[in-house]
Amino acid sequence: MADSTPLTVSPAPHVGGLISSARLNWSLALSLLPASAWGVFLFGFPALQVLAVAAATALVADAAASLAWGRAVLRDGSAAVTGLLIGMLMPPAVPLYVPAAASAFGIIVVKQSFGGLGRNWMNPALGGVVFALFSWADAATRWLPARGTPAGTAAAPLAALRSALAGGAQPTGGVLSALGARGYPWSSLDGRVVSWVNVHVLSAVGLSLPGGVFDLLVGNIPGRIGDVSVPLLMLGAAFLLARRVIRWQVPVAYLASFLVAAQVFGGLPMGRGWFAGAALFQLFCGSVVLGAFFMATDPVTSPLTRGGRVAYGICLGLLTFLLRYFGTPGFGVPLAILLGNCISPLLDKIARPRAASPRKAVVQ
Amino acid sequence: MLQHAGQPARCLVRPGDKVQEGMLIGKAEGASSANVHSSIPGIVTRVSEVPGADGIASVAALIEFGGEFDRTGKPSAATEWEKLPRAELLGRIRSCGVVGLGGGLLPTHLKLAPGAERRTVFLVANGIECEPSLHADVSLMREKSRQVVAGMRICQRILEATRMVLAISESSREELEPLFREASGKDELEIVALSGRYPQGHEDLVRKAILSRDSLSNGGAAGGGAGTCIILNVATLYAVFEAVVMQRPLIERYVTVTGSAVRRPGVLKVRIGTRLGDLFEECGGLMEPPGKVVVGGPMRGISVASLDFPVTKGVAGVMAFTRAEARPGFALPCIRCGACVEACPWELVPTRLNKLVERGDVTTALAEGLSSCTECGCCAYACPSRIPLVDTLRRGKRLGAVGDHG
Repeated sequence: MADSTPLTVSPAPHVGGLISSARLNWSLALSLLPASAWGVFLFGFPALQVLAVAAATALVADAAASLAWGRAVLRDGSAAVTGLLIGMLMPPAVPLYVPAAASAFGIIVVKQSFGGLGRNWMNPALGGVVFALFSWADAATRWLPARGTPAGTAAAPLAALRSALAGGAQPTGGVLSALGARGYPWSSLDGRVVSWVNVHVLSAVGLSLPGGVFDLLVGNIPGRIGDVSVPLLMLGAAFLLARRVIRWQVPVAYLASFLVAAQVFGGLPMGRGWFAGAALFQLFCGSVVLGAFFMATDPVTSPLTRGGRVAYGICLGLLTFLLRYFGTPGFGVPLAILLGNCISPLLDKIARPRAASPRKAVVQ
Repeated sequence: MLQHAGQPARCLVRPGDKVQEGMLIGKAEGASSANVHSSIPGIVTRVSEVPGADGIASVAALIEFGGEFDRTGKPSAATEWEKLPRAELLGRIRSCGVVGLGGGLLPTHLKLAPGAERRTVFLVANGIECEPSLHADVSLMREKSRQVVAGMRICQRILEATRMVLAISESSREELEPLFREASGKDELEIVALSGRYPQGHEDLVRKAILSRDSLSNGGAAGGGAGTCIILNVATLYAVFEAVVMQRPLIERYVTVTGSAVRRPGVLKVRIGTRLGDLFEECGGLMEPPGKVVVGGPMRGISVASLDFPVTKGVAGVMAFTRAEARPGFALPCIRCGACVEACPWELVPTRLNKLVERGDVTTALAEGLSSCTECGCCAYACPSRIPLVDTLRRGKRLGAVGDHG
């Protein structure tokens, strides 16, 4: 046989690369689409604009910064995911220069100036969002009302609860009752659904649900574009877990520690005692689900090892709880994850597996 | 002359010499070395130093076929080995050039040599393929179960092993278990089915699996902890049988011929020294000019630059990849996803070791277990950024070894 073509000589293994980084990133982007689409459906064209500006700025900034630093421009989708996450973390009525600034800062300063993909120690999306929303603080609360609620001043449920408590309200029946007592505007559909369930289902067992349960469950509330629909976020997360794009350790540890902390201690600041926090309410508002599945799992800024990931998740859950109750309103999840990023290398060092040495193990 | 772990054998032939099938042409020299025999009758045309597939050069004799096969096809009398002393058994294994055919290539007589203190010895026959997509061992077990069992009995006698265990993969259990039950007759042979998932066939992982299984079933007391496992590949055991009972030197072996460029992949019984190209011809030829030819398996095999390389004792498989498959990948930056950490059977953190070696800090890498790396390739296989982790780690191990000596 004539060797007409030279044979490639390369180191083993000779197979592999079945899952590429690009495929991981595009799966991530795909999994974020349902929740983003819900945000657009809820808040209309402004939300779509914010998402588009954030994603486009991220892509352009990534390409420009890569060229400027003399690196290859990667088409692996990582910049698109960063941009989409930034858009999802914006309030819908934010002026468009805010998401643009967030994307530019996140990509250029947080990611590329540290050496590009894989070398940033802080999550670029969160770094950009925190930078922009701290810079234009009034932009951080540009909410739009949910569907079927009166136009006018809309406030996210967490912010409303905070001001209710600051106003000296003593919630006796629970957080939703407290909000209801202050005249929080739930949608008309929520009123109809909740009263139907109360009359036809729960009256038989002597229970009744407060208004707002339905709105919270489906995500028909004022909030950031991408964090309102918990069910659709869970759907995307299930897709990622099934495709092994993300691993379960961080989100499970994160949500579990957050829920436990919220339930055990969450009632104390409201004067309701131990074990009286409204953990489920806390789960459905704010960005904790978005953060746990889509941002805390960012591989670059989270620990490598299984043990490190579990520890990281627990730290994030506790930090989120503390920052949500005692920190700057609206920044619990982003700041918790950024703080977590800082300790991630430390956790990796502590939880590094001891290299097994079976040869030594069997020698008597 | 170097087809085993250790020093090369000394070449005994010169150009023009006439050789017979099975004639000794390379004599073992040094503590760890093995004899080499001619696999065909003929005339030695050239003796020169040639590079092996792994790049290490050694002396080889080119033999032009001629004359008659004076062993093949003729029945040779089976010896009643049970009556031979242990030293004679070991001597036959040594003189026939038997080496570990699973890939370790350690001369088998060294592995069977009496050690210092041995309490419980398990003799484990490793019938789990050393690499995915190879099936030479399963084919051998299917056809030669009696001979493999006889090889085990011989080794059991030499080692005074208390137990004989056959480790096979779960997927081949159904087919092989009845064969070996029949071949072993009595109940002394334990058959253990392990996951066939790569790299389970690695000697250390088989040992770990057998010992942990044992300590579980015995409550950790009876055998497990105190036992020593001597693990021999089934092909090696077959060679032991041939050497001791038939007094035939190791001149042929089962080789898997596969890869997507091969028309009819299969398992061949091949004489040592055969050209790789001839193996592909025997399997229907190649469907297109290959982009890469690999000696060994897909995970640990060595790619060679020519089809003229010979099959040596350690070759369990040869593969031909298409040109499309052989295109070199483009490594992206590490995104710290941890896929390599999950893939590593030795619980190392390959990406960190990779960074340490690239930074030149081999000392720290060694402290974090670099030397436990067996270059199984699982980390590089799993890496979504296609970083050539194994290549870097291998380099680090070499640097570390150099540092030790100088």
